Amino acid sequence: MAMIENRRKKSLIALSMVAPFVITFTLFFLYPVVEMVRLSFTDAPLIGPGNWVGFDNYVKLITDRLFITSLKNNGYFILLTVVPTTIIALMIALAVNRLKGGMQALVMTLFFLPYVLPVSVVTEIWAWMLDFQFGVLQPLISLISGKPVAVFKNPYWVMPTVAVVTIWWTNGFNVLLFIAGLRNIPKELYEAAALDGATSFQRFRRVTWPLLWPVTALVLTLQLILQLKIFDQIYLLSQGGPFNSSYVLLLKVYREAFQLNHGGYSSAVATVLFVLIAGVSVLQFQLLRIRRG
Amino acid sequence: MKYLKTLLMTSVIGLTALPALAQQNIVWWDFLSGGDGVRMKALIDGFNKEHPDIQISGTTLEWGVPFYTKVRTSVAVGEGPDVMTYHLSRAPLGLEEGVLSEITDEDMKNAGLSRGDFFEAPIKAATYDGKLYAVPFDIHAIILYYNADALKGSPYLDDNGKLTGIKTLADFEGALKWLKDNGMETPLTYQTGGDGGVWRVFYTLLKQQGGEFIADGQVLPGDNAAKAAKAIQTMTHWQEEGWAPQQAEYEASVALFSSGKSAFQLNGVWEVPTFNDLEASGKLGFKWGAVEIPPLMGQPATWADSHAFAIPNQGDKTISGEKRKAVMEVIGWMEKHAIKWASAGHIPAYKPVTESDEYKGMEPNATYASLAAHAAYDPQTRVTGVASPAYDAAINIISPAIHGYMSPEDAVTQIQEELQGQLK
Repeated sequence: MAMIENRRKKSLIALSMVAPFVITFTLFFLYPVVEMVRLSFTDAPLIGPGNWVGFDNYVKLITDRLFITSLKNNGYFILLTVVPTTIIALMIALAVNRLKGGMQALVMTLFFLPYVLPVSVVTEIWAWMLDFQFGVLQPLISLISGKPVAVFKNPYWVMPTVAVVTIWWTNGFNVLLFIAGLRNIPKELYEAAALDGATSFQRFRRVTWPLLWPVTALVLTLQLILQLKIFDQIYLLSQGGPFNSSYVLLLKVYREAFQLNHGGYSSAVATVLFVLIAGVSVLQFQLLRIRRG
Repeated sequence: MKYLKTLLMTSVIGLTALPALAQQNIVWWDFLSGGDGVRMKALIDGFNKEHPDIQISGTTLEWGVPFYTKVRTSVAVGEGPDVMTYHLSRAPLGLEEGVLSEITDEDMKNAGLSRGDFFEAPIKAATYDGKLYAVPFDIHAIILYYNADALKGSPYLDDNGKLTGIKTLADFEGALKWLKDNGMETPLTYQTGGDGGVWRVFYTLLKQQGGEFIADGQVLPGDNAAKAAKAIQTMTHWQEEGWAPQQAEYEASVALFSSGKSAFQLNGVWEVPTFNDLEASGKLGFKWGAVEIPPLMGQPATWADSHAFAIPNQGDKTISGEKRKAVMEVIGWMEKHAIKWASAGHIPAYKPVTESDEYKGMEPNATYASLAAHAAYDPQTRVTGVASPAYDAAINIISPAIHGYMSPEDAVTQIQEELQGQLK
């Protein structure tokens, strides 16, 4: 009897400890998600109820050219960012890891600094630097392409440029993750490898890389989720143009809901994005784990 | 929080003066920044000083989609303002969303106004099914600014230093060519790399051909497509000849004119105070003027819109009774003091002000006031107007087209495809 009581008491304590999380999660995540899915089956405006229309919104999505374009652009942006940003972060981390003491702290801070800035500041900085009329980076662009380019108004330049801005902005965090991962690798392994006469490339290939793989998988997955949700930079730098060449799913969600008062339809797009993020990231993480095994 | 505020309010009022108990506090939202904002704040201060019994507390919010979204969401929960500024071109979506409350004849009487006091175009843009949903405050349009000093020695300036002899597109392009030949790098400036500037010039050129952007629920139907293509073709031509700046953002486009690098500027009347102020402080360095845009494509027409006052429809919480009367009194006072607003470049929609001697003495405002008769408002649809999909199309399709990325015909097709589906 006493045991049972004890167990009940324990579970009560446990419950009270997880309750704050469960409540917040339900209220601010689960409920909105359920609402979003429900709305996606209605013709609701931005605010207020709508009529049940079944799968109409989803059927409309398939024929919506702009939706297909957004989907493609999201894919393109992922290609441009996820793997490059991971490789760059790894290289920076390896380099920073060789530095010592104060110098290392300083360099780490410098790489992390952009991550602290709000997106509006980041986009403003780059918009100024790349301004067609007065931008300080235009001479550099002229070197590459022979003439100044209005990067955010050129269908070929816009996505790669937004990718560069995004990588510059967010990479500090990935560097930090990699450095943490590097520090977790026991020094003895390197010493043993050195004793066995392993070259530095062999040490990287046989010690660092396998032991760093979990962190790499994490960074890749986090980046995938983050970059699928691309919105702010596009909204502030190119508004989806020119010719919709930088139109992405979240911009579509925003425009449909807030500009056109289509709450239901916009929820359908959001639901697709949600499923896409959940599906793709789980899939990728599993694949990366298999490879590791 | 609200209770606390009320409590504080009442105690403060109770402590200061008893008669103030009857005071009406009007919550006012606008989206007016820059010179517009300064002038509107001065008007609000002026009103507050004259009316101890009605006090306006104003908040300025971000222009465009953010403003209209904020109105939409706050009104839904009854936390909207008592009165707000609204673009008439945005009224169709406002009506669809149900955020505008009808301004009745009685309201107008309380404001000391009547519909007949206003120019026809803005009243029409504020009226749906015979009901008025906003009180127009101004007409703002784009005009043709010119640098008289730069045109010296050309046939386009009369003995008084005023622009002359530009009646057709050929005349205008002749002047641009003359300027280019005489060493001016960018003879004509407008915002070529932004939505607003591109849309306004495009729409003006379309309307000057008698074109309709949307008719019978169709985007650019029939020969309107050809007219739209011609408008884009004209803008492309200016670009190709190097007459107009490449990808100029708004500020850069204004700077080109104020620094004397462009002799012509197509831009809104709202920049008039900029050049007036620069001139007054002796920083402009040249004589300038502004006229209604000549009928370049055949007939006179100019893109225009209006700022208006509207009362949000908040269901049970929509203001009524004494508060509503007070708000209408505010609107009436603003209309009658619109001469101060005219100094921001706008043409007052309230005719008694525009017809006053004081207004007629204002330059260049009085010169371009003629455009009120040719004001072409955006079509009354959900996809046109400020911060609408039509503006998106301007930056997304028309602007790249005039920079040579796409033929005018293809651009028109893409505009049709893009907007037609959103019209529903």
